Amino acid sequence: MITRIRRSATDGWVNTPDGRTHYIFGFGDISGVPENELVNYRARAELMAPPLLLKAGNEYIVTLTSLGTPTRPDLDDPHTIHYHGFPNQIAFYDGVPEASVAVPVGRDLEYYYKPLDPGTYMYHCHHEPVEHIQMGMVGPLVVYPHDYDSSDPAYKTAYGYGTGTEYHREYYVFLNELDCSIHNLVATVQEPDWTEYRPTYWLINGRAYPDTIDTPGGSRLQSQPWPALIKANAGERVLLRFVNLGFQQHAMELLGAVLKVVGIDGMRPLGQNGEDLSYNKNIIYIAPGQSYDAIFTAPEAPDMYPLTLPFYNRNLIKNNSGGVEPGGMVTEVQIYAPGSLPHQTEPNQA
Amino acid sequence: MPTIDLWAVDGYISTPDGKSIYIWGFTDKAGGSAQLPGPTIIIKRQDPPARTMVTVNLTNSLPEPVSILFPGQSEVRVNGNPVQPQYQNGSLISLTNHCLPGETITYTFYAENSGTFLYESGTNPHKQVPMGLYGAIIVRPQDYMPDHTGYKTAYGTGTGTEFDREYLLVVGEIDPDLHQAVELGKPYDTRVYKPRYWTMNGRCANDTMLPDNVDHLPNQPHGAMIMLEPGEKVLIRYAGAGVENHPLHPHGNHTRLVGMDGRLLQNRTLSNTTDLSYKRFTVLTGAGQTYDQIYTWTGLGFEPVTNQIPTVIPNLRNMAIGHTGMTMWSGSPYLGVKGELPSGMVSYNEVGEYHFMLHSHAEPEITNWGAFPGGLMTMIAVYPNGTLERHHGMLPVESHGL
Repeated sequence: MITRIRRSATDGWVNTPDGRTHYIFGFGDISGVPENELVNYRARAELMAPPLLLKAGNEYIVTLTSLGTPTRPDLDDPHTIHYHGFPNQIAFYDGVPEASVAVPVGRDLEYYYKPLDPGTYMYHCHHEPVEHIQMGMVGPLVVYPHDYDSSDPAYKTAYGYGTGTEYHREYYVFLNELDCSIHNLVATVQEPDWTEYRPTYWLINGRAYPDTIDTPGGSRLQSQPWPALIKANAGERVLLRFVNLGFQQHAMELLGAVLKVVGIDGMRPLGQNGEDLSYNKNIIYIAPGQSYDAIFTAPEAPDMYPLTLPFYNRNLIKNNSGGVEPGGMVTEVQIYAPGSLPHQTEPNQA
Repeated sequence: MPTIDLWAVDGYISTPDGKSIYIWGFTDKAGGSAQLPGPTIIIKRQDPPARTMVTVNLTNSLPEPVSILFPGQSEVRVNGNPVQPQYQNGSLISLTNHCLPGETITYTFYAENSGTFLYESGTNPHKQVPMGLYGAIIVRPQDYMPDHTGYKTAYGTGTGTEFDREYLLVVGEIDPDLHQAVELGKPYDTRVYKPRYWTMNGRCANDTMLPDNVDHLPNQPHGAMIMLEPGEKVLIRYAGAGVENHPLHPHGNHTRLVGMDGRLLQNRTLSNTTDLSYKRFTVLTGAGQTYDQIYTWTGLGFEPVTNQIPTVIPNLRNMAIGHTGMTMWSGSPYLGVKGELPSGMVSYNEVGEYHFMLHSHAEPEITNWGAFPGGLMTMIAVYPNGTLERHHGMLPVESHGL
């Protein structure tokens, strides 16, 4: 059986806590939307892009439909999906316009994937990647192990039964930056000089603090549906899926719990003879185009629930939103008394 | 014992957007122009107990003192004495013994470790290294035998570093203001260093995909195209010769990092070996750092007969192909099959090979002064079995003889 998923490529606007709006290109989820209603999904790009959640061994067709960019009707850029890191990809489905095909406005392309390797990956458009990535065509892609079972603790894992990657809850830590002057140039039909790239906002899951700890929804953040607030019951194991699709290296620090790195770029860190090379960290350094899976155990804190652990970028100057501190790449981990939060069945579900 | 004669000279390189940039660099040809990067020095180690002494004679044809550092090499000496930083009036003027304009200096070192290394200027390095005074050294294990199974390795037989083909990618940056200031003898404020070009083997994309020794790039003799057949193990050596870090991402597969800074990623004792190699899809190649990695591509069944990938090619008139007027695509999803491309399209695809991009994911670095495509980008081409000529990805056992 083949599972069908559909993504739109279009434009939209995102919001930062200083009240400014920024023009973006991006993806939207149009799975199951009837053809005659697609027009309603123009200009509804989301940042971060809707996650692609796949299971190892299953087959998927992801249809990319380019709905055009209403704010830039002059723009005839095609789009693609690049499944970043897919082992043994073939060129046709790799989404590189110079080595395959791309999707013009008003057209579709079906990408076929049969992922075999579980882990945290990412997807983005690869047409003029410097522009289309910065403009927001970026999202996480998770491949669950073939034996994944959210209802069985031994099988709710990042890398499969018996790999030591069991978890109770999982959250995205999806990082990128936004240079508002470049977004403004693109909105006003100007050509940026990319060597002058200088970000003004640093985002987790498409939001800058304090929007990171806001709840989903709300009209101001309708294009940014992903809060970055991490919640867990004391004693639970929490999997953080770090992805960096910005252009800078970042240094995410968690206070009050130890991060065990169990996945690097979608692979368990294993030597050639199966040596376990996982390690503990307080700060995850992550370069553009990398991913990490790290698990921490939510500490006990009787009398203090909910306990708050700060989680922020140790490149401290990135903790601002348009010049206001604290802001940018800052969020929180909130820990509740055992049994307080219900079982989590989807990533980021609070 | 290998002896390499190098001259520090000036010259010009070309960028794909039509610029000519003044450089300082090394050449191994008397009377030659500066080459970017400097000539690759490839050394095969002697069987122990013999030690492999390498001699480098540097003649300075530039207007200021120049030197060479050999990071990671053992017992670097000049005129028989250990090299030392140089001071003038108590002030550091060079990280190692230097050579005055018009003079020649002789360095020696022992190549004790296999792997990938840099050599680079240690005099005014903030200026001279970005100007181009750098190159790579490859040290081969003493049991290296390219025609013997199991002995064509990066670090010696039994280390898990066997390979079929090898490619060296030396990465760097260029701030044209620095180069112009040096050419015109004007001052340059190091604090404003701002690269506008990024180079892979001295070339910016799309020149990175051209073959070695093309006529119009006489001072940038090395291409950066990676070519392999399915299942082959390809040793990719990254060398970070610039002053910044570059996250290099190959499409098509992960690499396994087997060596770092010219050291095998293994802990070995008499009784035990712990392999510390691991896989990545993006490797942050730091300033001065080297990585040795094994890349393979083992996609299964991607041919029309078994057709394990159910693919219906859409009507190509509905698709965007080669928006820059050219494509590397074959017109077919299958390896070794050439399909029909829209008329007027220039395809550089030879025999239905797959092209996978290898590029910096700090994406402004894949531009030439802000314009995509450019910079730190090349292609990995997977050729159908039996179609890739043997000479691709074959570096010599040694570069400068005994």
